[in-house]
Amino acid sequence: MGYLAGFPITLKKWFEGVTTKNYRAGKGGKSDVKAPKPDRLHGRHVLNRYEDGLEKCIGCELCAGVCPAKCIYVRGADNNPTDPTSPGERFGFVYEINYLRCIHCDLCVEACPTEAITESKLFEFSFEDRKSAIYTKNELLVDEDGKPQQLPWEDWREGEDKATSGWMRATAPSGDSNYVGKVAWSGELGYGVRQPESVELTIKPKSGDSK
Amino acid sequence: MTATESSAVKATTGVPFTLNGQELHAEEGELLIEACDKNGVHIPRFCYHKRMESVGMCRMCIVEVDTGRGPALQPSCMLTVTPEMKVETESEATKDAQDGVLELLLANHPLDCPVCDKGGECPLQDNAFAYGPGESRFVEEKRHFEKPIPISDLVKLDRERCILCDRCTRFASDVAGDSLIHFIDRGSSTQVNTFPDHPFASYYSGNTVQICPVGALTAAPYRFKARPWDLTGSPSTATVDSSGSRVLVQSSQDKVVRIQGVDSDAVNWGWLSDKERFIYEANVSEDRILQPMRRAVDGSLEPMRWNDALKQTSEALGKKAAAIGGARLTLEAQHVWQKVLADEFSVVSYDASLGDDVSADVVDSLPKATYDWAFNAGSVVVVVGQDLKEILPSIYLRLRGVVKDGSVELVEFNYKSGSLAKLARKSVQSRPGELAKDVKQAFTATPGERSSDLNCLVDTDKPLTVIFSRPNVAESADYLTEALQVIQSVRPDAHFLPAFRRGNTVGAQLAGLTPGVREVATEDEIIVEQVAVVGRPTAEILQEAANGEVETLLLLGADPISDFPDKALAEAALDAVNTVIAVDCFENPSVASANVILPVAMYGEVNGHFVNSEGRLSPLGARVTAPGLVRSDLEIAASLAKTAPQSNSDAQSSLETSHMLGSEPIAWDLLELSSEGARIKTPTKPIQRVKADVPTVADGLRLVIGNKLWDQGTIVENSRTLAGLCETFKVRINPADADRFGLTAGAEIVVKNAKATASVPFITDSSVAEGVLWAPANVRGFDPRSFVTFSESVCYVEVSAGEQK
Amino acid sequence: MGISDIQSQGIEGLDHNFLTAPLEKLVNWSRARSSWPATFGLACCAIEMMATGGSHYDLARLGMEVFRASPRQADVMIVAGRVSQKMAPVLRQIYDQMMEPKWVISMGVCASSGGMFNNYAIVQGVDQIVPVDVYAPGCPPGPETLLHAITTLHTQIENGELLKRREANGGAGAGMYIEQLDGQTLSIGAA
Repeated sequence: MGYLAGFPITLKKWFEGVTTKNYRAGKGGKSDVKAPKPDRLHGRHVLNRYEDGLEKCIGCELCAGVCPAKCIYVRGADNNPTDPTSPGERFGFVYEINYLRCIHCDLCVEACPTEAITESKLFEFSFEDRKSAIYTKNELLVDEDGKPQQLPWEDWREGEDKATSGWMRATAPSGDSNYVGKVAWSGELGYGVRQPESVELTIKPKSGDSK
Repeated sequence: MTATESSAVKATTGVPFTLNGQELHAEEGELLIEACDKNGVHIPRFCYHKRMESVGMCRMCIVEVDTGRGPALQPSCMLTVTPEMKVETESEATKDAQDGVLELLLANHPLDCPVCDKGGECPLQDNAFAYGPGESRFVEEKRHFEKPIPISDLVKLDRERCILCDRCTRFASDVAGDSLIHFIDRGSSTQVNTFPDHPFASYYSGNTVQICPVGALTAAPYRFKARPWDLTGSPSTATVDSSGSRVLVQSSQDKVVRIQGVDSDAVNWGWLSDKERFIYEANVSEDRILQPMRRAVDGSLEPMRWNDALKQTSEALGKKAAAIGGARLTLEAQHVWQKVLADEFSVVSYDASLGDDVSADVVDSLPKATYDWAFNAGSVVVVVGQDLKEILPSIYLRLRGVVKDGSVELVEFNYKSGSLAKLARKSVQSRPGELAKDVKQAFTATPGERSSDLNCLVDTDKPLTVIFSRPNVAESADYLTEALQVIQSVRPDAHFLPAFRRGNTVGAQLAGLTPGVREVATEDEIIVEQVAVVGRPTAEILQEAANGEVETLLLLGADPISDFPDKALAEAALDAVNTVIAVDCFENPSVASANVILPVAMYGEVNGHFVNSEGRLSPLGARVTAPGLVRSDLEIAASLAKTAPQSNSDAQSSLETSHMLGSEPIAWDLLELSSEGARIKTPTKPIQRVKADVPTVADGLRLVIGNKLWDQGTIVENSRTLAGLCETFKVRINPADADRFGLTAGAEIVVKNAKATASVPFITDSSVAEGVLWAPANVRGFDPRSFVTFSESVCYVEVSAGEQK
Repeated sequence: MGISDIQSQGIEGLDHNFLTAPLEKLVNWSRARSSWPATFGLACCAIEMMATGGSHYDLARLGMEVFRASPRQADVMIVAGRVSQKMAPVLRQIYDQMMEPKWVISMGVCASSGGMFNNYAIVQGVDQIVPVDVYAPGCPPGPETLLHAITTLHTQIENGELLKRREANGGAGAGMYIEQLDGQTLSIGAA
């Protein structure tokens, strides 16, 4: 009778709820929901702005330089001193990301000296041709409120624009000693600053440092 | 990062010293920082530069040194190694000092690295990362200056970024001799700047950008063009003149964006002239010809297909044809063009030079010198001809260095004193027609008659090198030849170094693309069997063409209307021929009359080899793909060979092998290999006797047409930034002559002779010899070659005061 | 329209009219709801493709649970993973063996463009060998991205022409054609 021992499990599962996420089936119906996403998911990029509306990107090409898939193309230009696009000398004039190359490794976000490029949590998009897979600056740039643009072919849901411009500082403390060894988030337009992660990274003290 | 081609050797004898506990040896009088470099211990530095005097400005190279009086911190670039010196480069005290120096250097240095041209290859970034404290304690506002100010047409200065290392100012005053930038102000507001209204107009300004350890000096043509991590580079050789400076051609996105000097011990020591450095801008000029063109009936250009262009060229070359130019091509291209012209199309008239340089035969017959040989301490250099600064600017820096420190004695013979006249032992001002006479006077006068300054020329065992160039295109080249003969007869041990204006002139000679007596090798051995006369001087070609005896004229990157001494003859010749075929990349005055234009690849787009005026063979690296339908010279010549009427199978196979150096006629047997690379051995033949007449003195001035570095050359004219550097035409007259003819400064003067009359601006200049009217060649405004008649050995002009404005 | 056309050409013989239009919609509707995928899992993306088939995302909801091993029975080829030059002819052969109508989803950046493997071994975009209808970005795309791509394809199928799909669209793929001029110049332009 040993072979019947499995059936109770089958029966038990019968009465448990359904695990299936009904994503994309109900066509906008109540059951059409996404699985919850982790805070640090790497999705489609956004180019951020400062509170005064100026763009953060300075066209330095560090993101393009660090990109292992070479999917970013940036060209900078001189700011017009009377009507600047970004604070400082230069701004990102051309900014393109090819989503048929991008592997969402987030190295561009790590490399960015001004926290201009960050990744949103949006990962539900697809393209019918190659050209539309190349996002230009117009599509990547956040709107005046700091919210990412919700493009027609992307599947944004309620609340998904939250936590897109925040940037987790784990490896680049930007010279600020308060953040050394601490996983923290940068300010986010429209949502304020998120609490630092509760877990502190343990960094071995330098040899010679005595405590 | 500066690339270098020199190699450091670890010493095993010499001054013993201890470096980080290791027993080592240094050379006598060697700086500690150099000794450490040689022994593989890197000391961070900003101001120290191998090719310049140390000043100890930046204090970055501070190390802990114990000379018996206990350890102390000392800058290693100011300290020579002494016996039993104990050096610690990694001690706590050294690290503390480095931390401190960097923290202070960064106190005022802006954090705009992301948009700084130097960011990514910046010594300050590297050192801050490797030796710095990692954190800043400064919370104060940094020092602010106006963001980049142009200190010349080519260089921009961002004083905020400057760390006051004194490299650029030292280079300008010590190496280049153009002390146009200096430190001004004191204390925390010390800054580098130019004098008011005196821009940093130096031929060498680009070098300061290269040696700047931060992004304070940036080059206008490169500024924001690329980021360092995008750049890929190929070692190559500068071809704008015959110095053969070693360079690194760097490109980004398949465009040449920067040329950096490479520290080659034997040639340019890392320095470049601005012409060598910024010449790449023409590659992307909008005016560049990108497809074969033909002249329509109404005179406009219309595109055509390569097949048709080659067919038309091939047909035209089948008729009575002549070729001019080719001294700027690669050695391989020159070789193939020579083969195609002579063997496939039986063309006998060709000349790579344009009648405005030293004749190839003269150069062939002289024992050659290398730069190292010429500038070796204790030798004597005689410069006959033009100012080296205008012709071989990067080699001028080496000559200046050795003359300035007194290790080499310099004597000049010229019509207008050169830039080194003040440092020279003697600067002899001669006049057209009298050069040979004056040289003879200097070399053969008895000790009583001659000035004691000239003693270094004769009765001495100091090695003598003559650096010669065509001093004046308005007179016969025979006077220079005669002068060289005089020197050779008095000093048979003298060595000679030609200073050609055009890059690969020596290569053209080797490839047989210049007229003269040629040794012809047999098929299998490099044994001289026959002697043949090949080619024909440009002057004869143009004369024949003007007489209607030439049907087709092929211009291999040549512009005879702008370069040939007799402008009228060149124009007449181009008018008279049926078909002009130009192999060029831009429209210039001569190409304007071409019937067919074959677009050709430029610098940085072709591989090949280059032979400098010493005979040193160096490679040219292709870094980018040629744009449009442009083809390389080699391809054009090779495809022409296929369409030739009497296709010669030998020549075909030679074409196929000529891509590789080592095919005849330049075999490895002809190369002299040394640690500095390959040099081509040039056999010495007996010099042909030339006796130039000294013409009678007419009542006027003798015209001298000299060269300036920045002229209206085709490539310079098509470089966006360089085009503006060409000066406007002004003649120069000795003040004594100005008085004699009653000329007042500021007014225009009337210059005339049988051929032309012109009213031109003038300035008095005491560096010009008396009795000479000095005019720059091919600059904006007037063209002095309209006065020249090629058959006359000296060109006289009359001057009179013009109408007062 | 004649009965003989349908007899000789099958469903392709149908013309458009008020009777056939609802039929066409019906055909498209049914095709979209039973487009069986051909398994072409080449690399890590295949794991996500399998996850999509699993209970959490359950491809059966979209009528696609039957991953067919035989190309004869498959309608949609999901190219999941980097296509090496050696795999390219195999992939093309499988595609050729599939019955019309057939569609291709290029899943992940490697299949779409070579991704980070810009080297001699990897085909720089599977659309160089087969016509691709939908590209799913990501490295790898999650099940939700693949579902997004699949539903995009379904919309395409439902709204698309019944037949001769590629001809009607002017050709699929990377949209590149090569025109040769007079034996000497090649110019590459986008369609």
